[in-house]
Amino acid sequence: MIGFALSPGGADASFGGNLLRDGAIGTALVVLIGGAGAVLFGASAAWLVSLCRFPGRGIFEWLLVVPLAAPSYVLAYAYTGMTWAGGSAIEVRGLWGAAFVYAIGLYPYVYLAARAAFASQSACALEAARTLGATPVHVFWRVALPLARPGIAAGAALTMMEIAADYGAAYHFGLTTLSTAVFRAWYAHGALDAALQIAAVLLAAAIVFLLAERWARGRAAFAGGSTRWRALPRYQLAPLPGFLAALFCGALVVFGAILPLTWLGRLALLHGDLGDIAQPFANSIILSSTGALITLALAVAIAVSARRASGAGKASVLAAAMGYAAPGAVIAIGALALFGAARSAGWIGGLSAGLALTALFWTYAARFAAAGVQPIDAGLARLSKGLDASARTLGAGPWRRMFSVDLPIAAPSLGAAALILFVEILKELPATLLLRPFDFDTLAVRAYSYASDERLLQAAAPSLLIFIAGLAPILILTHGIGRARAGQR
Amino acid sequence: MALAACNPTGGSGGDEENFVNLYTARHYDADRQLYAAFEEATGVAVRALTGNAEQLLERIRAEGDATEADLFVSADAGNLWRVKEAGLLQNVTSPALEQGVPENLRDPDGAFWGFTKRARVIIYRKDAVQPEQVASYDDLANARFRGQIVMRSSTNTYQLSTLASRIERQGADNARQWAAGVRANFVRDPQGSDTDQIKAVAAGEAQATLVNHYYYVRLLKSEDAAEREAAARVGLIFPDQATGGTHVNISGGGVTLHAKRPGRAKQFLEYLVSDAAQNLIAPLNTEFPIRPSITPAPELAALGSFREESIPLDALGRHQAEAARIFEEVGWR
Repeated sequence: MIGFALSPGGADASFGGNLLRDGAIGTALVVLIGGAGAVLFGASAAWLVSLCRFPGRGIFEWLLVVPLAAPSYVLAYAYTGMTWAGGSAIEVRGLWGAAFVYAIGLYPYVYLAARAAFASQSACALEAARTLGATPVHVFWRVALPLARPGIAAGAALTMMEIAADYGAAYHFGLTTLSTAVFRAWYAHGALDAALQIAAVLLAAAIVFLLAERWARGRAAFAGGSTRWRALPRYQLAPLPGFLAALFCGALVVFGAILPLTWLGRLALLHGDLGDIAQPFANSIILSSTGALITLALAVAIAVSARRASGAGKASVLAAAMGYAAPGAVIAIGALALFGAARSAGWIGGLSAGLALTALFWTYAARFAAAGVQPIDAGLARLSKGLDASARTLGAGPWRRMFSVDLPIAAPSLGAAALILFVEILKELPATLLLRPFDFDTLAVRAYSYASDERLLQAAAPSLLIFIAGLAPILILTHGIGRARAGQR
Repeated sequence: MALAACNPTGGSGGDEENFVNLYTARHYDADRQLYAAFEEATGVAVRALTGNAEQLLERIRAEGDATEADLFVSADAGNLWRVKEAGLLQNVTSPALEQGVPENLRDPDGAFWGFTKRARVIIYRKDAVQPEQVASYDDLANARFRGQIVMRSSTNTYQLSTLASRIERQGADNARQWAAGVRANFVRDPQGSDTDQIKAVAAGEAQATLVNHYYYVRLLKSEDAAEREAAARVGLIFPDQATGGTHVNISGGGVTLHAKRPGRAKQFLEYLVSDAAQNLIAPLNTEFPIRPSITPAPELAALGSFREESIPLDALGRHQAEAARIFEEVGWR
């Protein structure tokens, strides 16, 4: 893909417009606004359920993750459908509409990361602050938040790259972003080379962004504090703040999941006929599980080698993160081009169905490894340097250390990573659409087919099923994080 | 089989395998019924890979002579032209196709053939606009509609083909002026689908827009009462009846260069323009049949007959790049 990107001739010069400039501005705006919204929603919700006691806290703890199961493009369709002028007073559209849909659909990434960060904080640090007379608000701003900042930043980085890579919702809302510019150059101008150049700019921006994030995080290293772990002390909120906290969390769940789901359910009922939905459902599950396992293996390799501080390991983390910021179709085309080149060179016979499937799994791995690396890395972070050193002293080689020390300790995180990857691939559309075999429709493909034909009633049932299929792993995931608190059990 | 591949005119693929592989950018349920009907009539199964036309083109290109695709099907002549230009379609001669498909609705070299038609029509709000105020595409650029027009993005291939047909008929300068005029009338930046544009007009957000005719017909008979009400508030005009005729595009298909079953592919194309298929597919998706002798579905007949533009279909492809450039220049994305 990078080879394509370096071919001469700027996109702007031949198109007579400022596609690249407008796309860069659009991406910056929507990533900043949508990302800020997601951080605000996710971090405050995580703080509330981790450190406060209020009505419904236990239920919200897992309900808050549910919006993760909804693909952004489904939320975009649902919200424009619901608020289409004549149907409501406010119309969700344009930049603010898109930012809202991203914030409400993606805040769970920040929430999950922040909650894990709050959960692993030393109770002593928080209690010390309280003993010294700090109010809850003070503890949040002066102690809990700074300690959780690396976790929140990691969640925010994932969210922002997800927003930058998204095409479906951005196009639907009529934004010009780098992603929509890629597809405009490709579809409207028929200029795939220019499209890939724009994609390269997007990737370069992602690298700069990521390095900046890592640099900021690198300076904020904390010593472990107390090693005695017990349940975090929670503040009992007074009735009014408690009610407001419940209202806030409730609103996130309603707008992120319940409202759009109800709307989809209504459409599906209106249409009645589900069609032959069982086969796509099964196909989705098969493809997502296989893809998740393959990607997980890659993510583990990246996370472990990065921890060992090798140059190659660090580079692979960056490469994985780049993939996360790239639109799926672009990576898929890159994979096609790669296999095409191998065919021209006579290394392989041609892009048969089997090779296309290989390319598809390769695309999943390249696109989503970053989403798996993050939780694994967080899990490995709990491994004290001393433990690794001890294993080394006892003569364990790198493989033995990985399998007998690193992975068992990070096991809960591996589970979490696998589930996140499953949901990501379940929602993935463009690469699946392009590289799947004949007569092999997934739920996302079905939903797309109907939606692109503007049959939203028929698109509702498969969209709803994507959501439902993603729900089970997400619920397991949230249950797992509660248990993953070190020192308990 | 190798012989059949070298001889595209070799009958209907008698010694080829009993199936045909489609790469298709059409995703209609109607198409699946059509595949079933074809299999019932001929015993030849249809396997489909649906997708986005531009992406399917890249897949065929990458697959080269190893491709499984026998036939490429798309709902826009501009997309079919791109595949032909990439050298990935083969020219087909067939008396049945030549007889069934009017000359202006197929590729001059026989690389692709239409099997249904769709018209690009004006939708206007009945309580705000008189039909004669929107009788022509030109009217959408009229300053009287300042801040009153909604349009779909020009990344969409239907918009590109609409402007390409104007370039063919009236030249690039005229097309640029028109696009700039319409752009100046926008009430909002282009967003959403054709259906979304109709709903915006119905809701009073704008007075007129441009869509493919069947989206309006579908709203008319939607299962959702709100959509039926929306359709009732707007009217449909076949533009340019006094001048060049309404812009018409095709759904069509072409046999791929490296088809393993070119005979089957041709057989399926011929079936698509047969009486049986034409009577089946056009009403299911409320498109117009490609053959003038076939009666369209009742809800289409109710719209009345209209004069179509008559330009060579490959013009939609030839002017596509220029159309995209013009849209970019006038700021209509």
